[in-house]
Amino acid sequence: MIKTINLTLKIWRQETSGAKGQLETYHASNISTDMSFLEMIDTINEQLTLDGKDPIAFDHDCREGICGMCGAVVNGRPHGPEKGTTLCQLHMRHFSDGDTVVVEPWRSRAFPVIKDLAVDRSAMDQIIQAGGYISVNTGGAPEANTIPIPQDTAEMAMDAAACIGCGACVASCPNASAMLFTGAKISHLALLPQGKPEAARRALAMVSKMDGLGFGNCTNERECEAECPKEISITNIARLNREFIKAGFFSSIM
Amino acid sequence: MQLDTKIPGGPLTEKWDRHRFELKLVNPANKRKFDVIVVGTGLAGGSASASLAELGYNVKTFCIQDSPRRAHSIAAQGGINAAKNYKNEGDSIWRLFYDTIKGGDFRAREANVYRLAQVSNNIIDQCVAQGVPFARDYGGLLANRSFGGAQVARTFYARGQTGQQLLLGAYSALMRQVADGQVTLFPRRELLDIVVVNGQARGIVARNLVTGEIETHSAHAVVLSTGGYGNIYFLSTNAMGCNVSAIFKAYKKGAGFANPCFTQIHPTCVPVHGTYQSKLTLMSESLRNDGRVWVPKNPGDKRPPRQIPESERDYYLERKYPSFGNLVPRDVASRNSKHQCDQGKGVGDTGLAVFLDFADAIKCDGKDLIEQKYGNLFSMYEKITAEDPYETPMMIYPAVHYTMGGLYVDYNLMSTIDGLFVLGEANFSDHGANRLGASALMQGLADGYFIIPYTIGGYLAGTPLSEINTSHQAFVDTALIAKERISKLLSVNGNRTVDYYHRKLGLIMWEYCGMTRNDHGLVTARKMIQELREEFWENVIVPGINLNFNQSLERAGRVADFLEFGELMIIDALARKESCGCHFNEAFQTEENEAKRDDDHFKYVATWEFKGDELEPVLHKEQLAFENVELTQRSYK
Amino acid sequence: MNWLTNTLWSSVGKKLMMAVTGIGFSVFLVAHLAGNLTLYAGKDAFNAYAEHVHSLGPFLTIAELGLLFFAVVHIATGATLFYQNFKARPVRYSVNSRAGGRTIGSATMPYTGLVLLLFVIFHLANFHFADKTNTTIFQIVASAFLKPEYVFIYVVAMIIAAIHVSHGFWSAFQTIGANHPKYMPYIKGASILLSLVVGIGFGCLPIYVALMT
Repeated sequence: MIKTINLTLKIWRQETSGAKGQLETYHASNISTDMSFLEMIDTINEQLTLDGKDPIAFDHDCREGICGMCGAVVNGRPHGPEKGTTLCQLHMRHFSDGDTVVVEPWRSRAFPVIKDLAVDRSAMDQIIQAGGYISVNTGGAPEANTIPIPQDTAEMAMDAAACIGCGACVASCPNASAMLFTGAKISHLALLPQGKPEAARRALAMVSKMDGLGFGNCTNERECEAECPKEISITNIARLNREFIKAGFFSSIM
Repeated sequence: MQLDTKIPGGPLTEKWDRHRFELKLVNPANKRKFDVIVVGTGLAGGSASASLAELGYNVKTFCIQDSPRRAHSIAAQGGINAAKNYKNEGDSIWRLFYDTIKGGDFRAREANVYRLAQVSNNIIDQCVAQGVPFARDYGGLLANRSFGGAQVARTFYARGQTGQQLLLGAYSALMRQVADGQVTLFPRRELLDIVVVNGQARGIVARNLVTGEIETHSAHAVVLSTGGYGNIYFLSTNAMGCNVSAIFKAYKKGAGFANPCFTQIHPTCVPVHGTYQSKLTLMSESLRNDGRVWVPKNPGDKRPPRQIPESERDYYLERKYPSFGNLVPRDVASRNSKHQCDQGKGVGDTGLAVFLDFADAIKCDGKDLIEQKYGNLFSMYEKITAEDPYETPMMIYPAVHYTMGGLYVDYNLMSTIDGLFVLGEANFSDHGANRLGASALMQGLADGYFIIPYTIGGYLAGTPLSEINTSHQAFVDTALIAKERISKLLSVNGNRTVDYYHRKLGLIMWEYCGMTRNDHGLVTARKMIQELREEFWENVIVPGINLNFNQSLERAGRVADFLEFGELMIIDALARKESCGCHFNEAFQTEENEAKRDDDHFKYVATWEFKGDELEPVLHKEQLAFENVELTQRSYK
Repeated sequence: MNWLTNTLWSSVGKKLMMAVTGIGFSVFLVAHLAGNLTLYAGKDAFNAYAEHVHSLGPFLTIAELGLLFFAVVHIATGATLFYQNFKARPVRYSVNSRAGGRTIGSATMPYTGLVLLLFVIFHLANFHFADKTNTTIFQIVASAFLKPEYVFIYVVAMIIAAIHVSHGFWSAFQTIGANHPKYMPYIKGASILLSLVVGIGFGCLPIYVALMT
C-alpha cells in the first residue's frame, strides 16, 4: 500500500552567515510518498544526528502552509514544483524514484543566509513597520458595522491580505524584488475604507523602505504570482503602482 | 502559596466596570518610566505589546520565530465569537457567557468568562478598524457563521484564515509601535527562565537562537503569552515550535499551574498516516456546519464510502444529539469518534477515522457555494491526502489541539508571582474543562487588547518596585543555571535523538492521558515518563554547539521540559476523580457515556505548586462559585 | 531631494519613466511605420512623405529632441535598473527554473534593449545622418538594401524589436497601474498585435525594397 522512493539530494550547507557554503549530496532512501518534503528532511536529519554530523538547518513551524516560516528553492522553484503550495505542504508523491533534487535557500541580498537553508527575512518586517498598518489605537474603534464594505471589495482585500510573508516572491523574482509582498499589503489596506486616510503616506513610505533594503526592481516578470503559495495576483502590484504614483504626484505629502 | 482571585464584588454584570474604576492608574507622563517584557507575539502577546506601547510603556517583545507574524495563532481557521447579535437570533453577552461556561463544563470562573463576553464586541470593532477583512454579506455588513456548542451564529470569520487575519491585525499594530520606538523587538529569542527578585518578576533570561548567546533583560513586569503545550503529545495540530518551557519555568519559579490535565482533542483533523509524521493538520470545525459525520453501521465494512447505502450508514452525532447534531462541542464529538472506532467501525487504512461527508451539502447548496465557504480547507485536505473531498467524503480523526490548563492567574491575569502576567492559551482562565470553537481567538485578543492594559497599570501604580538592572545577582545566577543546563544537554552525547524521546513521550501521553483516562493507565504512564526522562538524560544526543544556530539544542531543551511536565499532567488527571469536559476518566461516566461531573468534590481549579525536583507538587484549590448559572449535566440532545 | 526626484528615483518611479518613454517609443514606432508604408507605393510616394516630414521644420527638431530625451531617459534608467537588479542577488541559484511567468520578451529586455540601441545608432548613421545633398532618401534606402548584410541586420533587428515590444507594451500599462481584470486581456492582446505589426511591418520593408530594386 505504502509507496516508497529513493532520492539523491543536493542541499546547500553553510555554517554561518559569513561562511562560504556549498551543495552537499545526501541519499534519502525508502521515502514514503505520503511524507511531506520537510518530513523527508527530518528523516535525513535524524540519520545525520545519529552519525554524529550536523543536521540541516531549515526554518519551519506550523507545517500546514499558513505561518510562512518554511521555504527553500527546490530544483529552481521556490516551495517546489506544485502550484499554490508551501514547502511543508509539498508531498513526496510529486517526486519520482531516482530523482535528483537540488535544495537551496532563498537568494536575495536582503535575505542573508543564517545557516544552511534558513535565511533572515527581517527586511519584510521593516517594510511593514514603514507603514503596513492602519493607525488606530486600542479602544478608539467605532462600531464594526458603521462602515459597510461591498462584498467584492472585502474579497479583493482578503485576496491580498492572504499573504503569509514567506518571501517566495522575492526568491522567485529574477530581480529579487519584494513588490508582490509590498503590493499585497498596500492593496489590502488601500482597498478598505479604513485604510484610505493613510493610503498616500503608506505607499510612499513602504516603497521607499523597500528600495532602501536592497531588493531589486519589479520588471513585471510575473514569476512571483506563479510561485506565490497563496496565488496572490500582480494586480496588487499594479495597485501599488497606482497608489504610489497618485501619492507621489497628486497627494499633499512632500 | 495563597490563591487570591481578586474578583471584585457586586453583581456579575458590573464587576469589570467597577474593577476598572478601582484599579490605580499610572499617570500618562509616568508610563514611560516603566519597562514591560512581553514574551510571545500571538494574538495575546501581539495585542498586549501593541496596546501597552500605545499607552506609553516601554515594551520589549520577544518571539521564538523570525517574525512576530508567525506565531501559531495564525493557524486558527474558523473564526472568532462575539455577542453582536447581528443575526437577530437572540444572542447577547449573557448568552455568550452562558454558552462558554456550559461548554467548559462548569470549571471556569464566572467573573472572567462574563468579562470575556463583554469585551468580545469591542474586539470585533477594533479588528475591523485595523483592516481585518472579515467576510461580509452582499449589503456590505459583517457576516456570521455558526460553530460548535452554540445555537446562534455569532462567529466572525475571514475565509478559513481568521486567525491569520486577526494576528496580522495585531502584528501590524505592533509593527507600528516598533516603528515609533515604543516597542523593541527581539525575534528568534527563546525564554530560558524568569528572573524573580524579592518575590517580583523582574526580567527574563533568553537565548538568542541565531548566535546562541544567553541574554538577560530586566523590566518592571513580565507578561507571558507563550501559548499552549499540546506538543507534549508530539503529534498535535500545534506548530513545531510550540512548547511548555516558558510557563513551566515560571511554575518552577513559584507560579501555580492550574488544571494541567485539561487538554482539548479536536474532532476534525486529518488522520495519522505514518510513523514518520511530524504533525497533524486541523480541518476547521466550521466544516461541521455542512459536513455530516458518519461511519458504516457494520464493524469492519471496508467498502468505499460511496458504495455504502444510506441505510447502512450511522450518522451517529445526528442520531445521538438531535438538537445540536453535528455541532456538538468538541470534546463530545471527539469522544464519539473514538467510541465508534473502538467498536471497529472506523474507516480508512488504520481504522482510526470517520467520514465527514459533504455530498448532501453539495447537492443542496451547489458545489460553488461549498467551494466558496471551504475551498481552501478542501484544497489543503487534498494536498495532504491526494483525495478530492468534493467527490469522496473526508476522513477525519481527533487530534490534540488546545490546552485549557495553564498558569494560574487571578482576575487581573497575574500569576501567583507578583508582576508575572499570563495571557491567552498560556493561562488557565476562561475555558474551564473544554473550550468552544472560535473562543480562543476571542480570549487571546480580550486579554491583550482590553484586560492587561488596565490591570498592569493597577499593578505598576500600586506596587513598590526597586530600581534594578541586569547586573543584579539574581540575573547573573539565573543566567548561569540556564547555561549549565545547555552544557549538560550538549554533553550527554548518547545514542538516541531528541525526536525519539519526544515521540515516545507523545505516545505515552496519547495512550494514557488523551481522550479517555483511567487511574491504572495514569499510574502506569507516570512511571513510564519517569523512566523515559532518566533515559533521556543518559542517552540523548544533541549535535552541534551552543554558540550557533542549533535547532536540535532548541528542541532538546523543550523536550526535557515536556518530560518533566508530563508528570504534572498525570498527577493532575489522577487527582481529579471525576469526568468533566475534556477530562474523561472512564470510571466517571453517565449511562450514555457522557462525562459525569462531581460538583460536590471537584468544583475547583486545581492549582499546583512546585516544591522541588524530587518532591510532589502541592495542590491548592480555588473553589468555583456559581452564583449566576445553574450547574447542570451538559446535554446537547 | 524634493518630492519629484524622490518619486522618480524610487523603484516605481524609475519603472514609470521606463513605461512612459516606452509608450512614447511605441507611438513613434507606429507613426514611423505608417510613414514607411509609403515605400510600398513606390519611390515618389516615399520621397514625398520624406519631404513632407522635413517641411515641418522646427516642429521636427522639437520632436527629434524629444525622442532623444526619451532615449536618454529610457537608456539611463534601464541601465540603472539592470545594475540594481543584478546586485540584488549576489549569490545566484545553481538551478534555475521558470514557473510560467517569464516570457522570452521579459527575460531578455535588457539585452534586446542594448541590441536595439546599437541598431538605432547604426540606422541613424546610415539614413538620418547620411549626406542627402545629391540624392533622395529613396536612393539611399534602395542602395543600402542592395547589400544582403543590411537586409539581414534590419530583419534581425526588427525581430528583436518585436520581442522587446511584446513585453514592454503590456508591462508599461502594468507599471502605470493600469491592470484591471476587465481590460488586461485586451492590453495583452494589443501587446502581441503591436509586436507583430512592428516585426512584420518593418521586417518586410527591407526585403521588399531589396526585391524591387
